[in-house]
Amino acid sequence: MALQSFNLTREMLDHSFAETVAPDKEKLLTCIQCGTCTASCPTAYAMEYTPRQLWRLIQVGLRDEVLRSDTFWLCTTCYSCTIRCPRGISVTETMATLKRLSVAEGVEKKDRSARFYETFMDVVRDTGRMHETLLMLRWLLRTNPLQAFSFAPLGLALLRRGKMPLRPISIKGVDQIRAMYAKVREMEEKEEILR
Amino acid sequence: MKYAYYPGCTLETAAREYDVSARAVFRELGAELVPIPDWNCCGSSPAESVDYLLSIALPARNLALAEEMGLDIVATCSSCYLSLFKVEKHCQRDPSLRARLSEILGVAGLTYRGTVRVRHMLDVIANDIGPEKIQARMRRSLRGLRVVPYYGCQTVRPFMEYDGPDLPESMDRLLAAMEADVVPYLYKTRCCGGILITSTKDVGVKLVSDLLAETDGADCIATVCPLCQMNLDAYQAEVSRKLGRRVNIPVLYLTQLMALAFDLPAEEILLNKNIVSPKPVLEKIGWSAGK
Repeated sequence: MALQSFNLTREMLDHSFAETVAPDKEKLLTCIQCGTCTASCPTAYAMEYTPRQLWRLIQVGLRDEVLRSDTFWLCTTCYSCTIRCPRGISVTETMATLKRLSVAEGVEKKDRSARFYETFMDVVRDTGRMHETLLMLRWLLRTNPLQAFSFAPLGLALLRRGKMPLRPISIKGVDQIRAMYAKVREMEEKEEILR
Repeated sequence: MKYAYYPGCTLETAAREYDVSARAVFRELGAELVPIPDWNCCGSSPAESVDYLLSIALPARNLALAEEMGLDIVATCSSCYLSLFKVEKHCQRDPSLRARLSEILGVAGLTYRGTVRVRHMLDVIANDIGPEKIQARMRRSLRGLRVVPYYGCQTVRPFMEYDGPDLPESMDRLLAAMEADVVPYLYKTRCCGGILITSTKDVGVKLVSDLLAETDGADCIATVCPLCQMNLDAYQAEVSRKLGRRVNIPVLYLTQLMALAFDLPAEEILLNKNIVSPKPVLEKIGWSAGK
């Protein structure tokens, strides 16, 4: 990849960015750009910035450039990078933090992925369980209902084998789950911590 | 041997054959699986993408319920396993998290003490039960069946509790004990893409293609995770188009192969549930569809 240059201004830089996104900021700052993470990553080929490039952007503090990238949305949380990183950086966890932060700031690039994860969590709040059919229906309605056609062959194959749940599933303690969601939200608002 | 069983949401729906065959082979091996009463979704990987505290609190409710049973947990899904397992790791790393967790579980009338051990089903079969017991229970050899052992990522990573992170061997040993021809496979723990295949299909299909392209000559793939099974099994038409050649390889759960080796009845193996039918290749081991 060609060298990329940024017309840097003071306003673009957030020197505390590493602290915000990494559970272990000191380690992230020791990244030596060896590229083991990128070499280990099965989806790096599709990313705007490879993982290695992303760590450099974070070290420099180019907050917006990082949060607007699609890199972390393509992280499948397979932990190949995490176990190999010679500096012991919590790479995969940092990717998850970046997802939450980019949603919190409303700049997420892969909004369909973001809505998918949110819908998943909404279904769990409402029933205590993940329910594939409900998840797909709600997500398609929220994003692009026409996309349902592209999932039709798979849906049919699953339906034929009795693998697609049609009846709603709900646990007895669903009120406990809702109360836990509410409590979490209350704590996050009170302590002003990132979701 | 008695365990608190955490099947996870998929095993109630898209992975029924995993649930049914796992319960059957555990019964046959004299190990008891007691379901955790009223368990909830662990949050899987979406939880940490949406809300960190919930990604700890959701699995922790199940841990608290299992602690009341006084049993260690067995998780069948690799994503569930990691979600449940990481709770204690994160609490040890950050003591303030334990206090927060108490507060959150308090509203559900539950307490988490951090005493419950979380195990992957593969770990329990390989290390608590072991190849010898499996061999002793065998009624049908898997000789002649060329099986690709596919572990998936979160089955062993990142904590590597019972096997290596890259080229684990616990499932290889179990398959070998059943006399299967274990195919050397370098992509044992390369990611199947997980739920990315739903939200970003092109990338997901590429990952599955990479895995399936290396299985030429094998009869079937063995898995221990419902997400891996679904991704490898359900997208072979797309993969065939991408690779420009027909890919048609059955993807079975390890516990289905064990149930075959134990010669359990068809309703405890549920071969009709797998999308690519395993029945033709199973003729090699003398299993016939009429049975």
